[in-house]
Formats: sequence, structure tokens, C-alpha cells
Amino acid sequence: MAADAGEAQLQVRFITKQEQYAVSDSPYAIQSNIQSSELNTLINALLKETNPTLGKVVEFDYLICGELLVSTVAEHLQEKGLSTEETLEIEYLERFPAPSPQDCLMHDDWVSAVHTHGNWILSGSYDNSVHIWNTKGQHKLAIPGHTSPVKAVSWVSFSGDQAVFVSGSHDQSTMLWVWNVSGNSVDCVVTCRGHDKGVECLSVSADANRFATGSWDNNVCFWSTSLSDEDNIPVKKKSKPEQGKTRQPLTTLKGHREAVSAVQWMDHNTVVSSGWDHLLKIWDCELGGIKQEIVGNKAFFDVDWSPLNNSLITASADRHLRLYDPRSTDSIVKTTYTSHTGWVQSVRWSKTRDTMFLSAGYDGQVKLWETRSPKTPLYDLSGHEDKVLCCDWSNPSLLISGSCDNTLRVFKAKHATAGS
Amino acid sequence: MPPYKAGLLKRKIDSNKTNSTSADDKEQSSSNDEENLIQGELDAESDATDSEHGEDDAESDAERDELTDSEDDNESDANSDDSDNSNNSEEEHSSDSGAGTGTAPSAGSSDEAPKNKTKTQTSRLKPQQPNKKQTKNKSTIDKLADKIKETKVVEPVQQKDEYESGDTSDEEDRVNTAGDVPMWWYNEYPHVGYDLDARRIARPPQRDHIDDFLKKCEDPEFWRTVRDPATGQDVLLSTEDLQLIERLRAARLPSADHDEYEPWVEWFSREVLATPLRAFPEHKRSFLPSRSEQLQVARIVHALKMGWTKTRKQIADERRKKRERQFYNLWGAGDAAEQAQRPRSLPAPRRALPTHAESYNPPPEYLLDKREMKEWDKLAETPWKRKYTFLPTTHGSLRLVPAYPRFVRERFLRCLDLYLAPRAIKMRLTISAEELVPKLPAPRELQPFPTAEVLRLRGHAGPVRSADFDPSGQYAVSASDDGTVKVWETATGRCLRTVELGEPVRAAAWTPAAGLSLVAVALGRRLLLLNPGADVGAARVAARTDELLAEAPPAHDAAPDARTAAAVSWAAPDAAQWARGVRLALTHFRPVERVAWHARGDYVCVTLADAASRAVVVHQLSRRRSQLPFRRAKGLVQCALFHPTRPQLLVATQRAVRVYDLLRQELVRKLQPGAQWVSCVAAHPAGDNLLVGSYDRKLVWFDLELSARPYRTLRLHGGAVRALDFHRRYPLFASAGDDPYLVVSHGMVYSDLLQNPLLVPLKQLPGPEKRGELCVLGLRWHPTQPWLLAAAADHTLRLYA
Repeated sequence: MAADAGEAQLQVRFITKQEQYAVSDSPYAIQSNIQSSELNTLINALLKETNPTLGKVVEFDYLICGELLVSTVAEHLQEKGLSTEETLEIEYLERFPAPSPQDCLMHDDWVSAVHTHGNWILSGSYDNSVHIWNTKGQHKLAIPGHTSPVKAVSWVSFSGDQAVFVSGSHDQSTMLWVWNVSGNSVDCVVTCRGHDKGVECLSVSADANRFATGSWDNNVCFWSTSLSDEDNIPVKKKSKPEQGKTRQPLTTLKGHREAVSAVQWMDHNTVVSSGWDHLLKIWDCELGGIKQEIVGNKAFFDVDWSPLNNSLITASADRHLRLYDPRSTDSIVKTTYTSHTGWVQSVRWSKTRDTMFLSAGYDGQVKLWETRSPKTPLYDLSGHEDKVLCCDWSNPSLLISGSCDNTLRVFKAKHATAGS
Repeated sequence: MPPYKAGLLKRKIDSNKTNSTSADDKEQSSSNDEENLIQGELDAESDATDSEHGEDDAESDAERDELTDSEDDNESDANSDDSDNSNNSEEEHSSDSGAGTGTAPSAGSSDEAPKNKTKTQTSRLKPQQPNKKQTKNKSTIDKLADKIKETKVVEPVQQKDEYESGDTSDEEDRVNTAGDVPMWWYNEYPHVGYDLDARRIARPPQRDHIDDFLKKCEDPEFWRTVRDPATGQDVLLSTEDLQLIERLRAARLPSADHDEYEPWVEWFSREVLATPLRAFPEHKRSFLPSRSEQLQVARIVHALKMGWTKTRKQIADERRKKRERQFYNLWGAGDAAEQAQRPRSLPAPRRALPTHAESYNPPPEYLLDKREMKEWDKLAETPWKRKYTFLPTTHGSLRLVPAYPRFVRERFLRCLDLYLAPRAIKMRLTISAEELVPKLPAPRELQPFPTAEVLRLRGHAGPVRSADFDPSGQYAVSASDDGTVKVWETATGRCLRTVELGEPVRAAAWTPAAGLSLVAVALGRRLLLLNPGADVGAARVAARTDELLAEAPPAHDAAPDARTAAAVSWAAPDAAQWARGVRLALTHFRPVERVAWHARGDYVCVTLADAASRAVVVHQLSRRRSQLPFRRAKGLVQCALFHPTRPQLLVATQRAVRVYDLLRQELVRKLQPGAQWVSCVAAHPAGDNLLVGSYDRKLVWFDLELSARPYRTLRLHGGAVRALDFHRRYPLFASAGDDPYLVVSHGMVYSDLLQNPLLVPLKQLPGPEKRGELCVLGLRWHPTQPWLLAAAADHTLRLYA
């Protein structure tokens, strides 16, 4: 066997969890400098043998020792310090198809917040307005109302024609809006005042009954989303009918020493918040106390929780994204994802795939990550010309990001429903 | 050797001698026989004759004076006893003998004593006789014997005289005890003195001249009769007395039998006797070293040691050396000191052992064949390229090997090499540059600190003069030459508000008081206090600030003096200005250079340009009044700022930084940075350390607790240092100036006063590009995060994190 140093032969066995693409269990001998594209042709050839009915060529990703293959097999093995002597098990799975740019929604000012629900996109801008778009790219409504840049928006509920959303702004208020879809008219139902400084982030609970806001005054507040406020607000407080009703927070959680940069609901009564004081705090809403505290070493800019894999992904004041497991007692970073060249401002888990998330950074890049590939993202969603301030993957088929170049870019993810 | 031992030795030798010289003895026997005879007589007479014993006693007295004292006492006691006994019997006839025996008693008693002793002494002498016999051949003993013999011959005459003298001891009672007084004192009295019983001694009957004459005629003995003046009695001089007088008159010795010229007997000679001449033991001091001698020897030894005195040998050596001729040791190795100074010689490398080719008869394969010979010849010009340094040649036998033709030449060259190019070990300096760098912790261990530029805030149309953060760090404010003040959102770099002021703005500083939104802005001669909060989302804070400012100043304030009034005037803004956010306006008589807030936010310290003694003005916002803290100018004031913790004011002039106590109104200390022109000063938030930047590229760290001298001078910049700042929370400080770099350094101040601050330059951040001569004009740390905001001359602000 003429084996050059770079072209050693490897014994590999292909396994997969996707049954429709299963191939025989027998080991194959391959060259070690083979890449994933060559593996693709091999697997496809094997598939064609076993299952001639399979028409088109399928793209696969390959996992060796729990990490995605991005270079040649030899380099990957060298990096992991594995021997080439033994039979290697390569797991393959259908590759997530590259998202294609779909739309670019122009705004008048920086886009600071975005949220999608079904076909509707809600965006907040630095020109103090909230915008509603549909997924086709049509601008439905521009809603002025805040007196300072809108920093956070979120849909609350859709019920027939009536859609409810909230927006938080630097003018220290959070507004609860009702949008009549068919009539395309919007109304500010409740103004929530309770923060001393600008509202930085907000998050609506899964049952859409409550939402949490984080602010520059270091507090996390819980609010009710009910449109009528007779049940929880004293009568004397009702005033300012022109601005709608004013609402006080249900609970105020004090604990952060500096600005709260992000809040996320973990389940119906647990909220995680991240702050500039380098802390991740997990709050129990009913008790109003801290359940857990994770100390980082940089100010956190964003955090997101995935119920699919029970992990927290965070963006901090450096180039790295860090994956935390709140169940582990020692708050050690499980993985660090490094590819951005500037601060990462926003990070969002996929709602359908437990291993994928989206990040947006000040380097103008939106990156689609696979948790098993810490060095290289799956795709770079480029297009923004300035800092990207927010991103959203609430609709599994739409990857949306808003930027300082006054645009909201929408990427379409093909066959987004596939997965676990 | 102790004397007794020497004696023993001597005795032994003597015994040998006696054995060996027996013949001699026989020869001398004729003379010895006579001695023996005499000795025999002596023995025989020893019991009978008192004189011999007396003589013997006298001898023994001479030998052992001390020991015999007691014996003498005994003797005298015995004598007194005897005399007592005899006194009673002889009293009667002593009075009869009268004056004739006046002086005799003492002599008589002394003569009597040996007589009494004889019995005891003979018994003592007898054992000694054999010894004398043994040692009779010794000269001294011989002489002794001779002496005894002589005395023996004389003594019987003396004895006879003794017995014949009529004096007795009875007359001693009649001794006149008048004492040593002239006898004429008693001329008038009937007595002449007193006897021992204090009875008067009656004057004897006096004779007149006639009686004397008669007596002279009658008494044939008159010529030898004298009167004793003490007793007044006549004494008849004996024949001996007469003889004595005669001898004295003739100036001869009183005693006739004393031989003046008798031969001297050397009793104490150097000869060691078998038995000691004196029986008492050696005194203790003869065994002990002499103290004085010891001191004397010690003095000499010390002098020898110190070289003050020299032994004869040394003196002789020196003299000899001086006489010798001195030569320089040309070929010698030199002394050790010289050897040490010289470079250490390097042993020559060992020569390789000869190979087969060097043999006188090398194997044929080592000999050069034709082709190799040709090559050899070809390389004649460059012999060092040849395969061998010599030509292998074969010789039939060793005997046929010719002499080496270049031997002398090569030796000469070798000597030249040794002389002109001696091999020596070159001591290379082993200190590497890395070792000279002080040991500092690695920057990785000192994180967090800013490492890269993350945001660039664009919007200004002119160089940005200064920048500041609000107390929470949410906003930043910047002042630019384009006449605007901009408020930015820190996290995104969004310009939230622009205030047009229409005049280049020198400085902007946000109040450090939390919960207030007030920015002090210096432009031209004016100091404006802006409230930017309303439009940037801090409405509540802004409202609170406006509320606070709306409060009228207390009415009881005294009016400012003329000097202050001439320098500063307060004014409320008009409506247009109010809309732009101006809440207070102060106009100074000179352009405002710098603005510094007090930590509590009530006081603002303003530095005016070219204002001499009025360069520093302190404004109190709550009371709307100003103060001029200094009467006289101490120099060109560069900047003034409040001490972060104490009521002190730091004023930097061109060459010095002065610390003034504001309460006591006095100079606390004066710091000399040693820089040519101080540009800026920053105080550590703990208050004990000060950083001074200068236009001559220096950064000077002062530890105020340590001394007024610089703790360390850092040269981190290639250009003038224009901006400095300490982080309020992290041990970080940053400096920037006219070179396109910002330097972030770790400046750890320990609470332990004994530990010096640790200064570690951490990171050189690439700064903005130069515009003209300027690069970075202002620096400010984020109040809570390790982020650095730089105001640049290229119209931007940069945030590093």
C-alpha cells in the first residue's frame, strides 16, 4: 500500500440518525485528506445503490467525534488528537440548506428591534416608531408613539383580527398596542411606566399573559398583558386617557447592579436576565427571587434560552458567544463560539432545531451557527453595511436582522421544518 | 630543672666518680688520714667540748637563720631560767665584786648557754657525722673542717677567760635605769638614778682631787681605774679592755682574734651539692613564671609581629637583600595578581592524531595518483583547498625521512602567532536583553482591559476636544471644535442629541453626581451647564435636575468681592438657550481651558487661559457663586482638578503640581515631575496616587503617600501626552497624545501602604490617524466597564473594549 504522509487510508463507518438516508454498516476505506464534498458524493453513491428511488442529490454534514467536519478529515483528526489507525465512525446528517436573501425592508432610521409572528414582522426603530411588515415585504404600518428610540418590540398574541404587541423604549415606558389586522388600525391600550430609565429589552411569556422588561435602572419588571386593567390597578391610578391607560409593574426584581441588557422566559415562571454587571440571573417570578446566578467575565449584551436543549447562549462585550448550561452547578462555559470580529449584540436560538442559533454583531455580519462547530459558523448572512443591532428567528423559515444601515434584512430558510 | 633534681643527678654522678676515682682516693689518703684523725678526735671530743658545738651552732646559724630562730628563743629561755637559778645564789658576791664586773654579765650568760645545750645538741649532731664522712672529699666541707679545727685551737683560751671573770648576773639588778640622759642632770641630787625597783641609787661618795692624788699615789692600779658615770663607781679595766683600747687607738679591729685577711670561702657556688646547703625548700615563686618578664616578652613579641622591631636575622636578611642587585624577571610567570588581571589563557586545541597519510610510508591508496597530483598542482594558488596540507610521500625507512624544510619557518610563525595574536577566552556579556526587563505579570493575567476598537462614533465636523461618560455609563458626551456638543448612546454609538452652540467647544464634562444630568461645557469665555437628558430618554433625571437648578440660591450669601465679580459673571439663559438645554451660563474674563467637577457635583473648577493669578476659578452651583482661590500666580496654570476624596485642589503649572488644602487654605505639597511642560493631571480614584502627563512625552506617577518625588516615570509615547485617565473601578489607566497610539496600562494600587503600586503597560491600541500635529485630545474610561473612549482630532470618537 503506497501511503504518502498526507494520503493515509482510513477505515470509516457511516452512521446516521436520519433513517431515510441510512447506508450499510460495513466499514469503508477512504483517503484521509478527503473533504465533506467528496464524502457527499460517496454517500450519495451508496444511497443510490441501496435506494435507487431517491432522486436528487442530498447534501450532508458530517460529525466526527461530535464536531462538524469543516476541513479535511485528516486535519480534523489531528486537531482532535485522534488516531487514524482505528475505524472511525462518521455520523452524517442532512445539511441545513443555505438561507437565501429574500427581502430588504428599508426604515428611516436604525432598526433596533425586530420580532416575527407568523407572517407579520414587527420592528422598532431609532426614529421612535414601531413598524409592522408582512413577510412579503410590504410595509403595513408605522406607529409613532414613543418619544425616544424604541429598543424592544414583541408580539403578544394573535386572536382573529386583533393582534397585540408591546414595545419598549428609551423614554422609560413600555406600550401595549392593539392592532386591528383587517382594519390596519393600531391603538395604544396601555402605557406601562415603572422604570426610572430607558427600557432595554422585553420578553413575553409563553402563555402570553405576562411580559418582562429589563431597563437601564438595573431592574427587571413583570407586567400583565391584559388589555383591561380593572383587575390589578387601583381606580385612582387611572389617568391620562389620551395616552391610554397607565399600568404599574406586577413585580419589580432588583438585583442587577448595572443595566439589564436582555430578559428571556425559560418557562412559565422562570426568567433569565443578563446584565452589564457580568451576571446572568435566573429569577423565579412567583417568589420574586433569584434562583441562580452565573458570573461571566464580560458585560452581557444578550441572552437566549432554548427549551429544546436547555442551554443559554449569550453575547457579551467581546467577540465570543458563550454557551452556558444552567443545570451545571459550576457556571462554566460549555462552548465558546468565535467568528465575529466585533461586539456581538444579539443572539437567538432556532425554535425548531436544537443545535442552531443566529447571531448578529457590530462587524455587520449575521451568522448562523451549529452548536457542534465552535470555530466556523454554518453560514454568514452578509448584506448589512453597518452594525447589526438585532436578529430574530421566531419564524423558523425567516432569519431577520436589523441594522444601523436602516434596513431589516430577511433571509429565507428552505425546508425549515426538517429536523428533530 | 628543679634544684633538688639537679642535686640528685649530681649525687649520682658523684657516686660514679667515687667508683672511678678510687685510685685518686688512695693517692690522697695520706692527707685524708690526717683529716680522718682529726675527725676522729672531733668525734671523741664532741661530747666533752662546748666550744666545738658552739662553733657548730654558729655554722648552722649562718646556714639557716630563719629556722634556728625558734631554737635560739628556746635557748634564751633556758638561759633566763638558769640565770634565775643562779641569781639567788650569787647575789651576795656580785655586790662584793662591785664595779669590777660591770659589763661582764651579758657575755657570761651568752657563754653559758652552749654549756647547757651541749647535751641536746650532741645527740642532734651525731647522725650527721656519717654524712660528713661520705662527703669529705668536697672542697667546701674540707674548708669547714679546717675552720672547725682552727677554732678548736683558739677556743680553750677563751673559755679560761670566761671562767676567770668575776662578773655575775647578780649585778644586773643594780643597773641604773635613769635612761639616756646626761648624768650632770643629777649633779644637784644625792642619787644618780634609779634601779629596776625604782629605788634611788645613792651617789657613791665623791672624792676630791686630794683623794684622787692620794689614791694615785697609793693604788698601783689607779691608772687602769675609770669611773662609770652612770653609777658613779670606779671600774678597774681588765687587761682585755686595755688591749681593746690599745687596738682602737691604733685604729685596728677591736677583736684581736679576728683575722681580717682570712681566705674567702665560697659557700654558695654554682656547683650543685648532693645535699642542699640550706635545708628549707625552694620558694614557690621559683616555680612560677615571672609576671613582669611575661609582660616584657609579650611586648617584644607584639613588636615583632607588628614589624616595629626586627630580629637580627631579619635585619641581616634585609641588609643582604639591599646589597643584592635587582633584576627584572623577564621570563617569569609574574605574580598571581598580575596573572589574574591578564585574560585567561585558553588551552590550545588538541591536535588530531596523525592519519595513515602522514605516515613516512603510507599505504598506496593514500599516495596521490596522477590525477590527484594534477589537482594538487592546480590548487597551488589556493593551498587551503587542497585535500591535505602536506604531500603524502613514501620513504623506504624512517631513516630516509628528510629533515622538515619548513621547521624553522613554522616555529617562527607560531611564535609570531603567540606574540601577536594570543589566544584568550573572551568573556562575553551573558546578560540578555530579556533579563534586563523588569519582571512584570503577563498582560493576560491582568484582564480585563480594552484590546480592540469596537465602535467609532462619527458625526462631528471638527476635531473632538473632549469626551465624558454619564455616571451610569449609558451616555457619552463629546465637545468638538465644530461648535457642537453631542450626546451618544454608549452601547450602540448612536448620536442621540446634538447641541449647537456656535462656538468651538473646548471641554465637556458630565457631572459625577448620580441621578443628575448636567454637563459642564466650556466654550470661549463661557461655561455653560447643559441638561441634555430630556431628549435622550432620561426624562426623569432631567426633570429632577431642572428642579434642583430652579431652586434659588440662599439669600444670605454675601455678595462676591470686586475681584471675583470682575472675573466671573453668572447669568440665566434666555428662552432659546433654554430650549437647547442650557441651564446656566457663566462668563469669565478670559477663555476657559479646562473644566473639572468635584466628586459630589456641586463645585466646578475652571482653568482660564492667560489669567495669571485668576487662572483657577471654583464655582459652586447650589449657591451660584464663584471663588478665586489664589491671590498670586505661581506659574502658568495648565489644569486644576479636585482631589477625589479629600478637600484638596491639585493645580498643575508648567513645571510643578501643587496640592492645596481648601479648608485650611494652604499649600500641602509641591510635586516636581521633572518634566518640561506639564499637560494634564489625573488623580487615582483612591486619592493617593497622581499621574502627570507632559508635552515632552513623559508620564510621571506620583505616590503621594511615598514622597513628593516621582514614583516612576513612564515613557510610553512618541509624542506629547495630552490626555490621561484612571478607571474608577478597574486598576487601569490610559494615556494618549500626539502619537497614533493609546496606551492602556495596569496601575494597581494596593491598600497595603507598604506595597508599592504595580505599573504594567498592557496594550498599545492603534489610535486614530493624525490630523496636523494632533491625534487624541481626550480620554475617558467608562465608569463601570473596562472600555475606553477617545476623542480624536479626526472628528471621531472611538470606543475601545
